[in-house]
Amino acid sequence: MTSQLPILVAALVFPGGVFALALGLALKGADRRFAARLQGRVGPPLAQPFFDIVKLGFKRTMAPDVACAPVFFGAPLVGAASMLLAMTLVPIAGVYAPGPIGGDLLVLIYLLAVPGVALMLAGSSSGSPYGAIGFSREMAMMLAYEGPIVLIVAAVALRVGLATGQGPTFSLSAIVAYQQAHGALLFDPVMWPAVVAFVFFYPANLGIVPFDIPEAETEVLEGPLLEYSGRPLALFKVMSALKAVVVLGLGVALFMPLPFAGVVGLVGWLVQLLALALIGVTAVRVGAGRMRIDQAFVFFLKWPLAFALIGVIAAAYFSAGVAP
Amino acid sequence: MTLLAKLKDVAARSPWLYRINAGSCNGCDVELATTALIPRYDVERLGCLYCGSPRHADIVLITGPLTKHVLAAAQRVFAEIPDPKVTVAVGVCPISGGIFRESYAICAPIDQYFPVDVNVPGCPPRPPAIIEGVAKAIAIWRQRL
Amino acid sequence: MNFLTLFARNLRLGPYTEPFPLGPATPAPKRLRARIEFDAKSCEGCLLCEKLCPSGAIRFARTPAGLAFDCFHSTCVFCGTCAFYCPTGAIRQTTDWSLAHLEGETFALAEHGLIPPIVCAECGGKGLDTAPNVAKVRPPLSDEEYSALRARCPKCRNKFLRSRGKTP
Repeated sequence: MTSQLPILVAALVFPGGVFALALGLALKGADRRFAARLQGRVGPPLAQPFFDIVKLGFKRTMAPDVACAPVFFGAPLVGAASMLLAMTLVPIAGVYAPGPIGGDLLVLIYLLAVPGVALMLAGSSSGSPYGAIGFSREMAMMLAYEGPIVLIVAAVALRVGLATGQGPTFSLSAIVAYQQAHGALLFDPVMWPAVVAFVFFYPANLGIVPFDIPEAETEVLEGPLLEYSGRPLALFKVMSALKAVVVLGLGVALFMPLPFAGVVGLVGWLVQLLALALIGVTAVRVGAGRMRIDQAFVFFLKWPLAFALIGVIAAAYFSAGVAP
Repeated sequence: MTLLAKLKDVAARSPWLYRINAGSCNGCDVELATTALIPRYDVERLGCLYCGSPRHADIVLITGPLTKHVLAAAQRVFAEIPDPKVTVAVGVCPISGGIFRESYAICAPIDQYFPVDVNVPGCPPRPPAIIEGVAKAIAIWRQRL
Repeated sequence: MNFLTLFARNLRLGPYTEPFPLGPATPAPKRLRARIEFDAKSCEGCLLCEKLCPSGAIRFARTPAGLAFDCFHSTCVFCGTCAFYCPTGAIRQTTDWSLAHLEGETFALAEHGLIPPIVCAECGGKGLDTAPNVAKVRPPLSDEEYSALRARCPKCRNKFLRSRGKTP
């Protein structure tokens, strides 16, 4: 349908920019409302994150005297811009395929690391000791979860690439096309270790309990975001909303794209994202307690890394003889 | 209504709360925690969230009779809260000193030091009384946006 | 109960949040200790509540208009000591918790009462229209005896009660 959108349109209107922001904030609102219902409360209206962003636009922007102003104000811009660009690389099965410039899985993985770096820069440039703690914890979490995601991506690339007879393929469009022809990788037993590793990866990446350690409100007073107010804070909220759409969209594209096209495909993709958000994000967030940073770090270096390694080895071993 | 007035109406639906414990006995702080957390008196319906940083706050809830030890720190934290903001004094201690009224160590009533807008008497006030005070504060905050 | 059964139960039963402030408040518990109320007609003038109030919210003042009672709700800690020790039950705690107010109205949120002065029916001296404490009088006073007692100054009240025979 829209495979050759100019990059500016793709970044600012669909599927990035306005569309992704509205979708991300709507998912966040659904998450808060569902979390409230799981706890027996009424909860905020579904459009609450939109109200939050509008309200942040009316607040005064303050910065500490000791903050490094270019980095302090540049970090949210860099984070939000990276997520806008990342959204142009996430394919929506049957609806949108990234052009040949994008469509590279490795570029997407690099772009996914930028919001974490933006948070780290925010924490360290704010000059506050809580920001410094948030900076070190965010760095520890990134070290912990970057290993598994790289191995998961390698596993999927190996599986799809070797099964189609070429080398490992890092093009998301090719991965989606393979799954539309041969069935989703979610139902492929060889990929199940990689799926399990991804299930551990995305709560840490999105900053959800039990892994929302860098931005813990009660422990480090919101860590890197402590000194932000007004529009830069609104940009950070925008960045986290966009990141949720990118990561969940990546999960859908890697493991379970639907074989429909057009409006049905778009609606199916939205339903998949909503289901992933409600079950995989909200229920986990409400049911679990936050881990300590050392617990989370050691945990990631054990189980998700082990599952991802097994996934890579299995994908390489079992895909060699599979016919295209 | 102009677009700006409509946007302000939208913005008024997301007041974020921040608590300053100015030497309180924690009775009012426990009631503040229950107002937000327990399902029976859910304050998130009004769009309120307890934020961890004063920079994110819109409505400041001050408890405690402002002991001399905490006066300087409370004034510094209060100055970090960006405008527009509304101040709510929770409990009788900030309003008049409450049961500590004749103590040498307190600086109550706190409206000598902070521009208080809404008072919520009680020792401690019931969570519905605190929600009533917060609702009044949201109405004032809408005027200040 | 593990958390999955809790989720299922909460989703099935729906939220149990009280509708206030978007709806009427649920009635307060019957024994809730909240705002106090003063009834000048039943006050004995013993000033026990003023002595016992831990935060000094209750103040009596002797004015030309009589004995004035003032209690600022913003100083009252709702302890109930005054109501517990009041001999006649003139000061009581109600269940009215809805006291949130704007900063300018702080001093308006008070309970006021006045016990007017009387001229003693017997000796013509100065007295106050306080309710006599007649709980332990035997035999119990009739209504005319009560009004006669009320119209006298303290010294003449004592004389009246002694003349009845049994001391209070």
